[in-house]
Amino acid sequence: MADKSNDPVAIWQNMIGEMEKGFNSFANQAMASPEFSKAVNQVGGVTAGAQKQLGDLMEKYLVSMNLPSRAQMVGMAERLQSIEGQLNEIRALLHQVHNNSSAPEGGYAAAPRPPRTKRPPGAGGEKK
Amino acid sequence: MNTAAPLDLASIPDRIQSEVQRAIQRSIKGVEYFASSGPSLGSTPKDILHARGTLSLYHYRPLSDEIYRVPILIVMATTNRGYILDMVPGQSFIEFLLKRGYDVYMMDWTAPKPEEKSLRMEDYVLDFIPDCVRRVQRDSGETDVTVIGYCFGGVLSLLYGSIFNDGPMKNLICFTTPIDFREMKLFQNFSDKRYFDVDRLIDSVGNVPPEMILSSFEMLRPASRAASQVQLWDNIWNDEYVKSYRMFDRWATDTLPLAGEYFRQITQDLMWENKLYNDAMSVGGRPADISRITVPILHAVAEHDHIVPYDAAKPLIQKIGSSDKEEVMLKGGHVSLVAGANAIKRLWPKLDTWLGERST
Repeated sequence: MADKSNDPVAIWQNMIGEMEKGFNSFANQAMASPEFSKAVNQVGGVTAGAQKQLGDLMEKYLVSMNLPSRAQMVGMAERLQSIEGQLNEIRALLHQVHNNSSAPEGGYAAAPRPPRTKRPPGAGGEKK
Repeated sequence: MNTAAPLDLASIPDRIQSEVQRAIQRSIKGVEYFASSGPSLGSTPKDILHARGTLSLYHYRPLSDEIYRVPILIVMATTNRGYILDMVPGQSFIEFLLKRGYDVYMMDWTAPKPEEKSLRMEDYVLDFIPDCVRRVQRDSGETDVTVIGYCFGGVLSLLYGSIFNDGPMKNLICFTTPIDFREMKLFQNFSDKRYFDVDRLIDSVGNVPPEMILSSFEMLRPASRAASQVQLWDNIWNDEYVKSYRMFDRWATDTLPLAGEYFRQITQDLMWENKLYNDAMSVGGRPADISRITVPILHAVAEHDHIVPYDAAKPLIQKIGSSDKEEVMLKGGHVSLVAGANAIKRLWPKLDTWLGERST
């Protein structure tokens, strides 16, 4: 095995790993203080309020410009997602019908599924 | 005390050549990285059995000629996408289960719409899960169902199991499921009741934005994102490393928003009041005490889980009412426990052995 004690690449990678650990540990200690919680929640509360106000303002502006807002675009994306979901359901149904059509004569049978007879290995089941 | 090995001067030209080749590869692969999309994730064949708002119920197509009698219903965490359990062929928990002869269903989540901000814990525990269990029963023709919950999906599964304790759940498997929320110390501090005004947040944003969820996860290890990008650049010549990085990075950043009322309840009942641990939890007025659960349970926890520390997960096995119960602690972190190389080597085979004999 190659010696890594004087391999600059290994030293660099080790240094990055140690720096990451050290910084995470230091930051975790700092973040455990009530002062941190107070500060971050003050900023977070103000930011959330400001984002909401900005969002409302932007929505009004976009309406006045006759442009779709982000909420409307998200709504459209969700409609598309829903249509895709319905297409998937139709595809699944078609798949089922296709399977049924290859069933023996005498009408439609349920789509074939494996039998639920498997036993665990060691209890008379198959060995892997 | 270790002493540095003497410098091997003869190997220096080879090492320089190797580093130059890697530097060239980095430049080429770096361009490729930005010009290409990542691997296709979650591609194990499946059918949508049911979709309603934020909920999707999938049935994975069997990959075995013979399957166990009892189907599996996986309840995914509401903050993340279910494809963490179905990354790519050969690294997919779902594919593993299918090949080992299990019939697998999954409750996965999409972003709740603005009008779904009023979804509450009751909707998840008393409606979505029982509805999906009924659909699995109908589709499989079996009464019994094994439930597997990942992270907060495990909490939802426990709440479901404690309320419907005479119901169809035959086995329960939880992955990294927190019970004692006091022990999630950083999350506790982020949501300190004295400073965190959850009502103001929810009343102003509706659903909790995914950026906020992602930031709170990333704040647990604030240097890790930058360090991982340095490591990516170091290893960008290595296709396997890059593929793995892209898979996990895409999943980790693909965080979902949380329904506002549901988040409010989680904060008030679990983070502030720690009701699940204190046996005081109820959902829709129905007591949800996990000591009422008596089915066989396996709880898999990770040794280096920075999101759900072991102390937060440990009381599950102590408090559950089952006599057939087992906790297994494996090396790895919150995600690598279920989807990394350790998962393939350790967790999945362990789970197969445990579940196989309880699935007939």
